Amino acid sequence: MACQQCGQVHRQEVQYCKRCDGPLQSRDVDSLQKVWAWLIAGMIAYIPANLYPMLLTSTIGKHSESTIIGGVVELVEHGSIGIAIIVFVASVMIPVGKFIAIIYLAVSVQRKSKDNRHERHKVYEVVEFIGRWSMIDVFVVAILSALVQLDTIATINPGIAAISFAMSVIFTMLSAQAFDARLIWDADRTQT
Amino acid sequence: MSDTEPTGAAPLEIRPIKQRVWRRLSLVWLVPLIALAVSLWAAWQNYQDRGTLITISFENALGITAGETTIKYRDVTVGEVESVEFDVGLSVVLVQARVDKTVAPYLDDDAQFWVVRPDVSVRGISGLETVLSGVYIEGNWDTDPDVAQYEFTGLEQPVLTRAGQRGVRIVLRATDAGSVSAGAPVLHKGIEVGYLEEPELSFDGTQVVVTAFIEAPFDRRITTSTRFWDTSGFSVSFGTGGVSLNVNSLASLIEGGIEFDTIVSGGAPIRDGEVFDIFVDEDTARDSLFTDPNAEVLEVAVLFEQSVSGLTPGSEVRFQGIRIGEVSDLNAIVVGEGSNAEVRLQAVLAIEPSRLGMGVEATTDDALMLLSDFVERGLRARMVTGNILSGSLLVELVQIENALPAILTNSAGLYPIVPTTDSQISDVAATAEGVLARINALPVEDLMDGAINLMDSIETLANDQATRAAPASLMALLDETRALIASEDTQAVPGDLRKVINDLDAIVARATEVDLVGDLDTALESAAVAAANIELATQNLPEITEQLEALTRKANSLEFEALVTSATETLAAIDAFIRNDETAALPASLGDALDEMRGFLTEVRQGGAIENVNAALASANEAAQAVEDAVSTLPALSARASRLVALTEEVIASYGERSRFSAETLATLRDIQEAADAVYSLSRTIERNPNSLLIGR
Repeated sequence: MACQQCGQVHRQEVQYCKRCDGPLQSRDVDSLQKVWAWLIAGMIAYIPANLYPMLLTSTIGKHSESTIIGGVVELVEHGSIGIAIIVFVASVMIPVGKFIAIIYLAVSVQRKSKDNRHERHKVYEVVEFIGRWSMIDVFVVAILSALVQLDTIATINPGIAAISFAMSVIFTMLSAQAFDARLIWDADRTQT
Repeated sequence: MSDTEPTGAAPLEIRPIKQRVWRRLSLVWLVPLIALAVSLWAAWQNYQDRGTLITISFENALGITAGETTIKYRDVTVGEVESVEFDVGLSVVLVQARVDKTVAPYLDDDAQFWVVRPDVSVRGISGLETVLSGVYIEGNWDTDPDVAQYEFTGLEQPVLTRAGQRGVRIVLRATDAGSVSAGAPVLHKGIEVGYLEEPELSFDGTQVVVTAFIEAPFDRRITTSTRFWDTSGFSVSFGTGGVSLNVNSLASLIEGGIEFDTIVSGGAPIRDGEVFDIFVDEDTARDSLFTDPNAEVLEVAVLFEQSVSGLTPGSEVRFQGIRIGEVSDLNAIVVGEGSNAEVRLQAVLAIEPSRLGMGVEATTDDALMLLSDFVERGLRARMVTGNILSGSLLVELVQIENALPAILTNSAGLYPIVPTTDSQISDVAATAEGVLARINALPVEDLMDGAINLMDSIETLANDQATRAAPASLMALLDETRALIASEDTQAVPGDLRKVINDLDAIVARATEVDLVGDLDTALESAAVAAANIELATQNLPEITEQLEALTRKANSLEFEALVTSATETLAAIDAFIRNDETAALPASLGDALDEMRGFLTEVRQGGAIENVNAALASANEAAQAVEDAVSTLPALSARASRLVALTEEVIASYGERSRFSAETLATLRDIQEAADAVYSLSRTIERNPNSLLIGR
């Protein structure tokens, strides 16, 4: 049995890690619960992130608010399809993909599915890896708001959506973290 | 992973199924619950905060954008347009907007909405900020919540008066809307204190009614005795004072304007909605001050047979030269029936009883009684020329002596009819022509030539040193004359004469005694000459008196006090001299002397023998010569006095002429100088301040 923190392998009876003193668990029993909980929180946070404006832009006299999807549509209309795709992928496809992937993993573990174990493991790794990049949007908003503060001429402020988007990303990352990948293997164990 | 298989410990690791669901639940579940709660709360809050949906209909939606155009109330954003759509039938644009819940209750039936757009007018530029930010909808409502409404009709023009703005709203009546337009300023002593709202036709269509809003605190300046008048544009007035041009500010030139003033105190304070009339100009407004514009007027009619062109509604009605009312209406009516039918021109006179001197409480009936009384005693109406230049007429009520009997009748129509008499209309053209013809006929050029010559003469005369010295010389002369007359020598002349005569008497007596008759012829001749001279001299005396009297008169008319005094004194002296008994007795004495002489001569001739008398005669001759000399100076004196009188007359005449003429000339020159000064200062003013022509100050 490996320590979750440092990877030191112990015998099964050992309660605490010899190297790092951390408690040893062969399986996180509440893993799925946590996954679901974080996931649902993340999905809840994702709703306002899409409904509310991400950016509050005010140029001379003009005041505009753009949501994520609205921004993408605007970009497409302006012809910047490349940027539109990046924004769309980073802000919509990745979070939504993560939700789907985590749901898939969680459901498959619960149903103790034995199919595609390796693939599922890969999916889990991708989800974990890609999670932090979802923050790209939030970073863009943060940087823009910090830089573009030219008073009346042009001002960009983060909207409510920026915060809820960040929350959503954090929650999904936690959700992915809470997922105990080892549960994927347990399916056939109980069968055998 | 493979190491778990042999141990078979896996079943131990799996928690028993019987454990309760609550126990198995992780605290992690709190996170989504909180998130959900927060989201739901936020959503609820948002829903709660969501404004009330109202619909405003506009003719067009120029510049209104859904999601961008805001609704502002007193420059605070209170809502936002949600959608812009047409109603069924495309007749109006429906703008749906959400307004804050807090203001929604105030949106009752007095709420007004209009679109604020950039607006450039003569009074300035407004709504400039909307050029960049886009238009917005301005709302206006009062601060009392009432039954909330959700559908409104937008106004096309901004409302001028904000609800809740302090001030007073009054109603002004004008005969036409030429001078009143929405937004036109209401001025008080040149300061803009309010403005007019949209003019409307009165209910019966005879007047234009416009609501004016006077801002606080200027509303306190308005009382019931306040008068409003039209100050729009510029006015040119003809008067006895000449032509006066009055230009107000450019804004009022274009938009019109109303000015008011409260000239007399004592008016009662006004309430909202008080009604005032707009007078055509300030003078009329001030004129009306002394009568109550709402006072009852007595309306009587006058039927004229001739043309009333020149008479207009508003023309004055005068009674013995005093304005007592005005012509309120003019129309033609048919008098008589059938073949006797005639068209008469009826002028309706509105007479104010108070102007007839009847007191404030006099009713129109009282005035009618009075008028009817007057008519029986010969009061008649006639048209007279009011202004010869404009040809305007006015109606005058005059008392005609020996008028044909007439009474105030009420037969032909609505009004009692005042009988008429011949009108005194001066035809402008004829009058002007006549005046011009007369002016033309005047020998103006001769007059001018004469005047020029005269002025030349006067100038040379006036410049002449001699003329300037004339009064002084005159005085000196008079003084001399007086001295001469007063001198003892002259006074002594009669005495001397008497002595000479006495001497002669004595001589004659002695000659008689001595009986000497010698070379008598020469003596007699001399005596005759002397007598003739004396006679001549005495004849001249009254003439001198006359001339001196004339001189005195002339001198009297002069203002030279001293001269007059001198002349008077002279006259008195001369008078005294003339009235002297001795002088008066002089001719008689001379006659006696001559008679005696003749008698003596005959006696001498008869008696003969005069030898030693030669010396005596020589001395008598000498005495006669002396008398002759003395007397011969009298004609010279008379001639001098005569010349002097003539000269004085001339001088006086020219002075007299000069004084009037030169005074007039000087006055004329002064007038011209003043006029030139006025023009100069006007041009200086305009030069310094050219925009005064525009802004009227």
